[in-house]
Amino acid sequence: MDHQIKEEQGNHIVLLQGEVDLESSPKARQIMLDAVGRGKKILVDLASVTYMDSSGIASLVEAFQRAKKKEIGFALVSVNPAVLRVLHLARLDQVFIIHDNLESALNADL
Amino acid sequence: MPTSDNPPNLILQKIEALGRGTTRWVEGLGFGVTLLYEAVFWVVMGRRQKQPIRAVPIFSQMMEIGIEAIPIISILSLTIGMMLAIQGIDALEDFGAEHQVTIGVALSITREFAPLITGILVAGRSGSALAARLGTMTINNEVDALRVMGINPIRFLVVPNLIAMVIMVPALTLWSDLVGLFGAGLYIISDLGMTTGVYINQTTQYLDANDVLHGLGKSVAFGALITLVGVVNGSAVTGGAEGVGRVTTQSVVHSILAIILADLIIVFLLTR
Amino acid sequence: MAFLPTQPAPVIEVTDLVTHYGSRRILNNVTLEVRKGEIMVIMGGSGSGKSTLLRHLIGLERGSSGSIKLLDQDIGKMTDYELNQFYRKLGVAFQGGALFSSMTVGENIMLPLREHTDLDEKTMEIMVRLKLEVVNLAGFENFMPSELSGGMLKRAAFARAVIMDPVLLFCDEPSAGLDPVVSSSLDELILRLRDALNMTIVVVTHELGSAFRIADRIAVLDQGEVLSVGTVAQVQASDNKRIQDLLNRRFEEERLDPDAYLARLTGE
Repeated sequence: MDHQIKEEQGNHIVLLQGEVDLESSPKARQIMLDAVGRGKKILVDLASVTYMDSSGIASLVEAFQRAKKKEIGFALVSVNPAVLRVLHLARLDQVFIIHDNLESALNADL
Repeated sequence: MPTSDNPPNLILQKIEALGRGTTRWVEGLGFGVTLLYEAVFWVVMGRRQKQPIRAVPIFSQMMEIGIEAIPIISILSLTIGMMLAIQGIDALEDFGAEHQVTIGVALSITREFAPLITGILVAGRSGSALAARLGTMTINNEVDALRVMGINPIRFLVVPNLIAMVIMVPALTLWSDLVGLFGAGLYIISDLGMTTGVYINQTTQYLDANDVLHGLGKSVAFGALITLVGVVNGSAVTGGAEGVGRVTTQSVVHSILAIILADLIIVFLLTR
Repeated sequence: MAFLPTQPAPVIEVTDLVTHYGSRRILNNVTLEVRKGEIMVIMGGSGSGKSTLLRHLIGLERGSSGSIKLLDQDIGKMTDYELNQFYRKLGVAFQGGALFSSMTVGENIMLPLREHTDLDEKTMEIMVRLKLEVVNLAGFENFMPSELSGGMLKRAAFARAVIMDPVLLFCDEPSAGLDPVVSSSLDELILRLRDALNMTIVVVTHELGSAFRIADRIAVLDQGEVLSVGTVAQVQASDNKRIQDLLNRRFEEERLDPDAYLARLTGE
């Protein structure tokens, strides 16, 4: 798994790439929790994520909850169908704020 | 199923049954040896195989096997110590040698009675519990479940118990030594009018560190035997809850037998 | 069998599997292929050898001859270490649940994570709760297995079986001993798991209704032999006498050999 962190219009964009599995999810978790610590609105871009297992989902959940507690915006961007199905299985698609692409995410005012 | 070209022959059947029984014993024995070998393997190699031995289950087993047995071990050892003193004085009085009772009592407690009583009691309390637990787990597919999770059942279930046994059975034996000698002392002091100082002096003078170590060494072997017999019996369970009851009883009988035979062999080899 | 290029690759390949218990043949040249993403139901009556076949598929027993390949790897040729590592890709839901009675439901489900990963405690807790949500057991993590009903135990067993997101999931008699409502909710769970996680699922059952509801394909097993493999419609349309007997629910009944029966009764 690779990652990039960008700043755009006062947003923190976390771009995850490749497979988020049991091996790499601790890293993904740390990246997201660090981002939450910086206190800006966070967009997690999953466009290049080819696979995400439940440890990855669990990390998203934890980061989202932390962001909510600190009243920081937290949204997922470009979730591919496979990941969406997994989110749907646990009804998390009704919990996360999900944007189709980065543009709409940047324009949304959360 | 008996068919006409194979008439049932009573003698043949008896021999067959005997053969089957012997095979089962040999199988059990072989399994026990393999078990010990594998347990040692996991203790040494566990971490490298990504299957480390965990401390928490060892401690909880040590509580169950050791700490919770202290009250009953104390009562047994106290009474046996006193009994030995009564019998010893009674027998030695005929020769006017009742003041020599201390040596006999001290030696028999540390070398035989404490390790045997402790071993038999632990076999009854914890060996049976182990056999019952493993038997239940086997018939409920829990052992299979462990295996298909990639968790070695010997490493996960047997090793913690084995380690707890070889630590706690000697520890209990040492405690039993102390309480037994205390019980004997109570009677000797009051009956022979010996002072406490003299009794303690005599005991420490007659007792060699080797006598205590002889008893403790044997109790290590007893502890290992209790685990191995419990596991061999527990995992050989067949036929539901009744089967678990059967292997539990069987496990107690077998481990007491194993302890006494092992004692005989060790004593024969070491003291002859 | 004609190979169509549209068919997904096989993830389970059983070839000529033979097994004896003593002199009795339990499995007789079983050959079976399970494709990626499908739900294969192995159906048969008691004594058909279906449970034995399952035990072979998950590496708990080894056959006298023949081979079993899971994900292109021959499990008969693996060392214990390789097999233990391989088991991370496998989930098994046993008939009675097989939860460890000394642990809570949550600890049971977390056990594979604890043993095989270095994940953060919080991550593992969330994963366990996620799986409990999926199997409709939310909030039961601190219950002991003895406090759950039979259907709940099976659900918890499913949660434990899929905690590591396995590629292959094996289920032993998921609907046995359950009332029809609970049974069909378990069927629905199996379908949901396959659809969401794209797992390949093998279900062993003697329940026709359940088999027809969930199966992409059915393998009919009788007296250790695979009588037929096909879609629900294909199996139902089969003119094989033994299959029709099975479908007519007569498979629990033993074929009677009058001479042997008499000899058995009289003990002669």
